[in-house]
Amino acid sequence: MSIVEGVLLASIVPLLFILARGPTAWDRLLAYNSAANRVAAVLAISAVLSQQPVLLDVAIVYAALSFIGVVALARFMERGEGFR
Amino acid sequence: MIGTALAGCGALLVAIGTFGIVRFRDVYSRLQASGVSDNAGLTVVLLGLILYEGWAPIDWMLLFLLVLMLATNPIATHSIAKSAFVQRHTGEDSS
Repeated sequence: MSIVEGVLLASIVPLLFILARGPTAWDRLLAYNSAANRVAAVLAISAVLSQQPVLLDVAIVYAALSFIGVVALARFMERGEGFR
Repeated sequence: MIGTALAGCGALLVAIGTFGIVRFRDVYSRLQASGVSDNAGLTVVLLGLILYEGWAPIDWMLLFLLVLMLATNPIATHSIAKSAFVQRHTGEDSS
């Protein structure tokens, strides 16, 4: 199970590369969305492996807040104020 | 055992999806790879985590996180896609 956690953590690194280099702003937003979901999954795996349910609360709050942020940024860029 | 196998399959799906996100060129292709890999892969990983733990009080919170991800992830993907589409077809310069 720790191998799964390592694979999920390693799959965040190319997303950070896309987040820094992405051609348009929507690529960066997409990479942020994927990275936030993976961070929430890694927190859930870590909560189960270390037997600490507090990390699961952190994962739930992190997923909800990243969803609100992504939807708000997408609605903001839909009106034409986004960076190209 | 079966939980570890399910989580391994989910990690494989997530790794393939990350490869797709890096390799594809267009925003919509990247959205497709991202949406499919995140929904399927992380759902399978969390299901494997529930089966790995057995009967425990932590299962309900894992199930809540799974339902939250299943409810919010398609909305976020659709919102990004609609934002890119509308901005491309109504903006001044078409990049």
